[in-house]
Amino acid sequence: MASVTIRDLRKSYGGTAVIHGVSIDIAEGEFVTLVGPSGCGKSTLLRMIAGLEEVGGGEIRIGGCVVNDVAPKDRDIAMVFQNYALYPHKTVAQNMGFALTLKGVDKREIAARVARAAEVLGLTGLLDRYPRQLSGGQRQRVAMGRAIVRDPQVFLFDEPLSNLDAKLRVQMRAEIKELHQRLRTTSIYVTHDQIEAMTMADRIVVMRDGRVEQAGAPLDLYDRPANRFVAGFIGSPAMNFLKGRIAVNGTASFVTEGGIRLPLAKAPPASDGRPAVYGLRPEHFAIDPDGGIAVQVAVVEPTGSETQVVATLAGQEVVGVFRERLSAKPGEFLPLRPNPAAAHLFDAEDGRRLL
Amino acid sequence: MTDVLPIPAKPLRARVDVRSSRRPWPLLKGRRIGLHVAALALLLAVLFPFLWMVQMAFRPADDVLGDALLFRPTLENFASLWQGTFPRSFVNSLLVSTLSTATSLALGVPAAYVLSRWCFRARGRVSLWILATRMAPPIAFTIPFFLAYRWVGLQDTVIGLALIYMTFNISIVIWFMQTFFAAIPKALEEAAWIDGCGVWQAFWRVTLPLAAPGLAATAVFCFIFSWNDFFFALILTRTNAITAPVAITNFLQYEGWEWGKIAAGGTLVMLPVLVFTLLVRKYLVRGLTAGGLK
Repeated sequence: MASVTIRDLRKSYGGTAVIHGVSIDIAEGEFVTLVGPSGCGKSTLLRMIAGLEEVGGGEIRIGGCVVNDVAPKDRDIAMVFQNYALYPHKTVAQNMGFALTLKGVDKREIAARVARAAEVLGLTGLLDRYPRQLSGGQRQRVAMGRAIVRDPQVFLFDEPLSNLDAKLRVQMRAEIKELHQRLRTTSIYVTHDQIEAMTMADRIVVMRDGRVEQAGAPLDLYDRPANRFVAGFIGSPAMNFLKGRIAVNGTASFVTEGGIRLPLAKAPPASDGRPAVYGLRPEHFAIDPDGGIAVQVAVVEPTGSETQVVATLAGQEVVGVFRERLSAKPGEFLPLRPNPAAAHLFDAEDGRRLL
Repeated sequence: MTDVLPIPAKPLRARVDVRSSRRPWPLLKGRRIGLHVAALALLLAVLFPFLWMVQMAFRPADDVLGDALLFRPTLENFASLWQGTFPRSFVNSLLVSTLSTATSLALGVPAAYVLSRWCFRARGRVSLWILATRMAPPIAFTIPFFLAYRWVGLQDTVIGLALIYMTFNISIVIWFMQTFFAAIPKALEEAAWIDGCGVWQAFWRVTLPLAAPGLAATAVFCFIFSWNDFFFALILTRTNAITAPVAITNFLQYEGWEWGKIAAGGTLVMLPVLVFTLLVRKYLVRGLTAGGLK
């Protein structure tokens, strides 16, 4: 395994810049996910690390060596593609052993390593089959097997689970994580699914429009998002945002556009009257018949383990998630109390974190 | 509730009635038989000249133009062909066709690959100009080719003729193979690059095997084109490199037309075309790439 260092990486297609000076440090053995909405440049960045896209500017180092102009075959990386990219004319065993065959590894050694990887991935009985004879999940496993057989310096995953159904995705997610814990190979994983990013990564890099918005441990990103975009992207259901102003009158509070006063644990210095956006995660509302703010229920969605309530607070929509089962009906009023310690404040203009 | 219930019941019953009253099978069966008869009639009409020629090849010399369906088949026409110069022309045809097919594939396939994969500024124009070489009628090239060949000494040679066919086939190869390569997902090559292949190796070990059905079909097409050509072979050969289609015309002489030999020669010339057409059918089976991608 090796570290990966990206410095001021740039890329443009024609005159359109798609990556604007991205810098990321990935330590040896780390599992990093690149996450962001479609078109944010995460896949392009991964393909540049793989050597499948030319570098427009900046530097990529794998294991300390600059690889900007190194061919993909000489980077000692393995990649799992979104559409698996299995060779249709080769059997599962040939697909998995192809890289070793090219290296000139002894046939018996290849067979042994393929068998070992197949055992880990539960593919032992399928080694003589062709990709067309496999199910989606099995193909996904073969793609993984092709990567692990080689024992590369770095694993690259390009949305590898996006073609699987929801149940299989959860299962494969756990398997990939377990595999990483066993092999400890440096892994870079691209996904647009923030749940995948949260559950698998040691560190998440959130990207938007070819820039890194924030990089950090999953729970750090969740608890202290650097800006409104990250706050809204990480977490499901998404964080609630309410527009208004900060009011410091002895105690700190936030007054929404509709005039509702929401408590704050503290306010940024000299911020009285400053326009801002108040952010609160859905689970940080509590039902408090004594001191709660009355919100009108619009939709109640019980999932069994929790109840999700969509409601209107001073003309703005909010979502609350509660562990208890609620009997609230649409149209009724529910007394909600936000947890001031869990509230976030963002600048009304540029969306950066104020508190 | 009571006046709601009959509404869904009605169309259901109606549908059952329609199905039972129509009795679709006998009707369909009759229609299919009609179609089969029509297809058979069309097939016979198309095949008639061919079948007529084949039966002529097996008729005895004194009854070659006879119309009796029953006759004693003989191989004497083939035997007399074998004793003349026809076998040499047949071998020439085989050599010229194989050589031109091989060279046009060797040059055209990599060119098609480059045109389908590499983005460069003049790509569209290059493709069009390659196709344009096929647009002019062959006669436009006859005199230049004839003079040039006489000058370089390629007249009446197998290599010379193969070169001409190659120049015509290469554009077909490039255009056919470009489509076949475009149908192969680039991700497979990228996977091969990451697995340790260079560009050439990925082409050789991943792309080309996947394009094999297309390659086979293109090869057969080139072969048949070269094999069937009459015009250039007539103009550019005299004795040494004469091909089978031209050799057949030598049986049309002032002294008389040797119908038996013409029919036997024609049957033999048609044989490889028939075999290769059947091969194309086999190789054109699609679906080799199924399963590689999601």
